[in-house]
Amino acid sequence: MSTAAFVVIAFMLTAYVVLDGYDLGVAAMAPLVARSDRERAAAMASIGPFWNGNEVWLIASGGALFALFPMAYASSFSGFYLPFMLVLWLLMFRGIALELRDHFPSPLWHDFWDAAFSLSSALLVFIFGVALGNLLRGLPLDAAGYFQGTFGYLLNPYAMGVGVFALAVLGLHGASFLTLRIEGDLAMRARRFRGVLWWVVLAAYVGLSAATFFVRGGLPSGVVLVLPVLSLAALAVQWVSLRRGADAWAFGGSSAFIVTLLGSAAATLYPYLLPAFPAGQGGLSIFDAAPAPAALACALTVTIGGSVAVLIYGSLVWRRMAGKIRVE
Amino acid sequence: MDPVLADRLQFSFTIMFHYLFPIGTMGMAPFVAWYTWKAAANLDTESARAARFWTKIFSINFAAGVVTGIPMEFQFGTNWAVFSARSGSIVGQPLAMEGIFAFFLESIFLGVLLYGSRGIPSRFGAWSAVFVCIGSWMSGYFIVVTNAWMQHPVGYQVGPGGRLELQNIWAVLASPFAGWQFAHVLVGALVAGGFVVAGIGAYYLLSNRETALGRRFVRDGTLVALAFSVLAVFPTGDRNSADVTRFQPVKLAAMEGLFETTKGAPLAIIGMPDVQAGKLIDPIDVPRILSFLAYGNFDANVDGLRAYPHEIWPPVELTYYAYHVMVGLGTIFLGVTAVAALLLALGRLYASRAVLWLLMLLMPLPYIANEMGWMVSEVGRQPWIVYGLIRTAAASSPTVADGETLFTLIGFTGMYFLLGVLFLYLVLREIGIGPSLDLPREDPALVR
Repeated sequence: MSTAAFVVIAFMLTAYVVLDGYDLGVAAMAPLVARSDRERAAAMASIGPFWNGNEVWLIASGGALFALFPMAYASSFSGFYLPFMLVLWLLMFRGIALELRDHFPSPLWHDFWDAAFSLSSALLVFIFGVALGNLLRGLPLDAAGYFQGTFGYLLNPYAMGVGVFALAVLGLHGASFLTLRIEGDLAMRARRFRGVLWWVVLAAYVGLSAATFFVRGGLPSGVVLVLPVLSLAALAVQWVSLRRGADAWAFGGSSAFIVTLLGSAAATLYPYLLPAFPAGQGGLSIFDAAPAPAALACALTVTIGGSVAVLIYGSLVWRRMAGKIRVE
Repeated sequence: MDPVLADRLQFSFTIMFHYLFPIGTMGMAPFVAWYTWKAAANLDTESARAARFWTKIFSINFAAGVVTGIPMEFQFGTNWAVFSARSGSIVGQPLAMEGIFAFFLESIFLGVLLYGSRGIPSRFGAWSAVFVCIGSWMSGYFIVVTNAWMQHPVGYQVGPGGRLELQNIWAVLASPFAGWQFAHVLVGALVAGGFVVAGIGAYYLLSNRETALGRRFVRDGTLVALAFSVLAVFPTGDRNSADVTRFQPVKLAAMEGLFETTKGAPLAIIGMPDVQAGKLIDPIDVPRILSFLAYGNFDANVDGLRAYPHEIWPPVELTYYAYHVMVGLGTIFLGVTAVAALLLALGRLYASRAVLWLLMLLMPLPYIANEMGWMVSEVGRQPWIVYGLIRTAAASSPTVADGETLFTLIGFTGMYFLLGVLFLYLVLREIGIGPSLDLPREDPALVR
């Protein structure tokens, strides 16, 4: 019962990272490849119709966590009060920047909102990475599961390493998305950038896997070991498609890489939602406050029904909007 | 500072600011859909310009609504941890549904309207506008369901540790409190939408530009505002009060400023509640009407505040004034739109500068009426966060210090001030530019 609920949450969060991940990634890497106001406008327009729909998964994940594990929702959100508020403000700032950019035709207006958009998106990705890193490392918790550390505690080297890794992974993801939607010089530069970033991701992945081994104090066992192999396979797919210029495959490989990474993270954390520090020493688990059967049934129905509906009309709209954007 | 006070201030500030935008989107969405539909069906340029114009205003509203909406759901966890832990099993459900069923529909199809084809909208564009409207109304429904559960909890059972667990989701979604509350909320937003459309049309007529579209906006807006001003009183307002009478009689007493239990209770049109003395100062009463409105019987017995222990009284003054401001404004809307509709029927509205001025200046007031309605609902719910089950004072986060909340409250204030200025500037700018066939996001550098 609790395990099914855990899978629902993990699925929704993974959908969020894969989908909103590309628009966060485009935002974070756009200043590195887009050279003019027009190119940046094209980068924004490539994600414009989608970012809002993608962010729905964050809102829905929040609702699902709220409904299925109210204790974990309450203790994590209030325990990390300031970091969460920072995330909310960045999400808001990012939305304002993207939505208001094109409402006023002035280069200065565009420059300001583009910078704000890229900066807030990059910071968000970094913070999400730091949060995941801290979950893997474990947190000082009191008996009720409330966080007992300080803001500074969260900024440890391991977690910040995961933050940088997240930035690289989603940057690569965003660059892959950009090549799908854009034609011309901007797309060529995004492809070249992707070729460089791939090596960064590979190096960071190997380094962080070793660091995780030390932080967790040992290897996970059993079926979980399949996931890192799949991650490497996804990286290999990306490498081959980069060489061949198969942009759709590259984006698919990048999505698969993210799915396997988050799958590994979820499998490592299971059954804990908020693991205690040092890792492997208990924490707030999914069995501590198991969801009510009706709540689980309802959330499962909503997730499955909602995903199907979203897939159907999402792909319908996607087909209508899929044309490439050319910068003249 | 009382720590719960800081949390309450932050929540009421962020929710009241946020709600300004859903009023606009729920109220304007049908106009966007209507004009887009007309343009696609008749292939006419005038309707297409109207459709594009309202899509632009709508999209600025929507953007502000989205960004200010993000903190709402998450604040339950950050600031109201005890409430979340005890009632999340139920409250989280409609919030997840809102995201996945309603918000997604609204945002993805708005993307079609904003980035779709140029010129006259296609059939697909028209359907998209309809879906945007359905999405925004569904969004409102799920949020009202969440609130209705806090007003009148149903479909739950008490689990271990006093947690309230979901027992029957259909009971929650079809709560007896939710139906009329949602109808009243939606009707209120449509009154505001009608006034905005009529007001901007009046502005164009008074400035002697865009006369043809200006007339159309004034006509459509006035008729919608009139129809929904009537529906706001009856049946939705009336039925909503009946639910309050039935489920929350102490809130009714505070709304009406009725201290003593009275047989054949009068309706106070104006008057100032004095809680210390337990009476209304200088009231103007209409005899026996309150009994009639509450129970359909002029001689019915209506419980006063004194019939209940003082500790479960809501803040009387705020509840009372919010209610009276809402009702007073609603009466003004009825009167003004009735006069405007009469002049319209006589063919004299477009030349009546005084009435056009009135329509233009009244634009902000439906927003105030909507906010006041929610204030009655929420302040009147106190001291409970979940009616009869969880007290607000015992529902906030134990680990968050009031200093932290104060800091973030200041942060929200600064951010929303900036956002408010930007919003007003961009909307006024679009009104200044006026209706055109341009895509909302057209950039000449981009060729699809």
